[in-house]
Amino acid sequence: MRAALVVAGRNLRQRLRDRSAVVIAVIAPLVVSALMSLAFSGVESFHYTLGVVDADGGPVAAGLLQALRQPELAKVVTVRRLDSRAAAAQAVRDKRVAAALVLPAGFSASVTGPRPLPIATLTSVDDTVAGTVTSSIASTFVAQLNADRLSVATALAAGVPADQSARLAAAAARLQIPVQAVQRALGSRPLAAVSYYAPAMAIFFVLFTVSFTARSFVAEREQGTVERLRATPAGARQIVGGTVLSAFVFAALAMGTIAVVTSAVFGADWGDPLAATVVGLSMVLAVTALTALVMGLARTQRQAEGISSAVVFGLALLGGNFVFVSVAPDVMQRAALLTPNGWALRAYMDLATGGGGLGTVAVPVAAILGFAAVVGAAAVALAPRAVRV
Amino acid sequence: MRVLAVAGVALRRLVRDRTALLFMVVLPVVVILVVGASVRGFSTFRIGVVDLGAGPSGHDLVAALERAPGLDVRDYATAADAARAVARGQLATAVVLPAGMDRSLRAGEPVDVAVLAEQANSSEQAAAAQVAAVIAEQGGLVQAAVFATDQVAALAAGTDAYAANLARAAAVRPGVADVGVASEVVDAKATILPQGFSYSAPTMLVLFVFLNAVVGGAAVIQTRRLGMYERMAATPTAVSAVVAGETLAAVAIALGQAALIVGIGATAFGVSWGNPAAAAVLVALWALVSAGAGMLAGTLFRTPEQATAIGPSVGIAFAMLGGCMWPLAVVNEAMREVGHLTPHAWAVDAWTALIARGGTLATIAPQLGVLAAFAAGFLTLATVRLRRSLV
Repeated sequence: MRAALVVAGRNLRQRLRDRSAVVIAVIAPLVVSALMSLAFSGVESFHYTLGVVDADGGPVAAGLLQALRQPELAKVVTVRRLDSRAAAAQAVRDKRVAAALVLPAGFSASVTGPRPLPIATLTSVDDTVAGTVTSSIASTFVAQLNADRLSVATALAAGVPADQSARLAAAAARLQIPVQAVQRALGSRPLAAVSYYAPAMAIFFVLFTVSFTARSFVAEREQGTVERLRATPAGARQIVGGTVLSAFVFAALAMGTIAVVTSAVFGADWGDPLAATVVGLSMVLAVTALTALVMGLARTQRQAEGISSAVVFGLALLGGNFVFVSVAPDVMQRAALLTPNGWALRAYMDLATGGGGLGTVAVPVAAILGFAAVVGAAAVALAPRAVRV
Repeated sequence: MRVLAVAGVALRRLVRDRTALLFMVVLPVVVILVVGASVRGFSTFRIGVVDLGAGPSGHDLVAALERAPGLDVRDYATAADAARAVARGQLATAVVLPAGMDRSLRAGEPVDVAVLAEQANSSEQAAAAQVAAVIAEQGGLVQAAVFATDQVAALAAGTDAYAANLARAAAVRPGVADVGVASEVVDAKATILPQGFSYSAPTMLVLFVFLNAVVGGAAVIQTRRLGMYERMAATPTAVSAVVAGETLAAVAIALGQAALIVGIGATAFGVSWGNPAAAAVLVALWALVSAGAGMLAGTLFRTPEQATAIGPSVGIAFAMLGGCMWPLAVVNEAMREVGHLTPHAWAVDAWTALIARGGTLATIAPQLGVLAAFAAGFLTLATVRLRRSLV
């Protein structure tokens, strides 16, 4: 045991003196998180300016304008009145408004007649969200008008004499569609970009521990350091174990530093500290197991670099460290759950959005530890090979 | 001739290095695939449906949501499951159909359908608005059926059931002229790249060619540390030939990688790279910028480890600032200006002009000018420093 600790202590000192390792594991993820939080500060709430042209001036148009001032919609849109369709189109092009609605002249009169006029939406290719929301607002509004027209037609078809259609129209105009969509908040905190990417980048860069630990171990083997160690009473498992322990401590220190700094400085939400620590340590354990495996597999420094690069980038791509995996196709979401980092990211996301503690992360932690156990068992089996010169 | 020999050695060293080849070829393609598949934008929303026992009118509403273009509907057992999926971003929004919805509607009572969305989240808001429109449209049928049933009941001792009127409403709907919504896109020319692979391929080309070149600067450091340059200086080879040879190799590597990404993008991912002449000039200039940055990195870093550690960090940070990871249109003004201090922003702007707006050489001339200045600056600095370290 003492031999392993000595090996670990020496390796750790070497790692901490190696500025490259510190740059990758600590500085890089901090810089990336800082850029994320700077880039998206102030753009994480959704609100846009909607241009409205009321060429109609009638009661139906007034109804729409009033609907836009309802609290539910006012949270999302600010209305700016514009004079003409041409002016509205120009305002959209100049990005003074994100989208516009045009109520044509004679609109109110036409909606009860045989040929109703359409509402026009003017949108920009650059702002598909505002375009979609504007079209949906218009569709929701005309749905009531259409429901009233349909109500009259259905009543007539059901046998109400045609001479009563004026009375029917008046009665239908007072109706309200009986099924209403009511927006409810999720009861969870919204996920800020930095709260996803701070853990994502911390995990990605911590994965590089595999690369530099394995490479420096293979280098020592090539230089004969390992051979000399074998001449001492230290066993293969102690030599490998000590090196691996240094990787664990280094990765844990890096992860912890990033979590503390991103929370304190950039407002990243890592969730409940205890649960976040458990997830982080499980992830570090998985990284450590991978390190031991690569040490056993690689025979040359080149191989160590090649295998660990494939492991690091393969896991990071599959697990969602580069892209927000939730919006990816289903197959990619399932693939993410084959990786320990995919599970760790899901755990951090659930902690940041839903709160909760150890219970929230129990399944992810079990999955990550399962991965670490399988990889670790393979690494233990390969340990004698790792120290074979 | 000597220039070519120097360049040839550098290229052969790269080809024998399988790790480097992995980074050059496989990684960019996989990243383009993953990012392109993920950045699908707002063409389709995934929405969850939780049916708490709504009855037939609930089924009708789900059917209407499934028919609606741009919505991909999935079932969830409980509102909590659906809410968690929305919070994770797996769903854009979720609809909760209340128990007894059908019974209430038949009795003429209004029904609220909960749509789960956070106010701050733009894609959740867009999806919720779209869902609300479908609900209102479907609700129109219910209103008509209830109204007709009431009217007929008032007229005579009506035996006509709500269900029959619901069917009647659906049957007469096509014959009733609708108040329509006419949508017009007023600016035909986009200022951001299209979604999917047309977004990921050009931005990742910019990212990886630069990144690879900067990491490749490690080769220069190795050669320097092995004392190769001193030995070459002992031969009749001029220092300028050595510098030119190394630069040539770096440019050739960057060009090769860029050409590969363009080729794979066009054939495998169906990316249209825009005006060929303009795209070729842009690729060539970007190769020069990247090679220059790589050579400069080779003279600035002291050990190959520094190059492989700091290179990717700088490469990724520049790519983020320059709009390779997300369009600069979505960040705030100050960050947009800071971003344009990197060559990446200018390259992405030029690709946007070519791919999204059908631009030509003339359109992207300003961006090409800036890139040329970057390339000249990097290459000059690198040459001066490399010469100094050689002599």
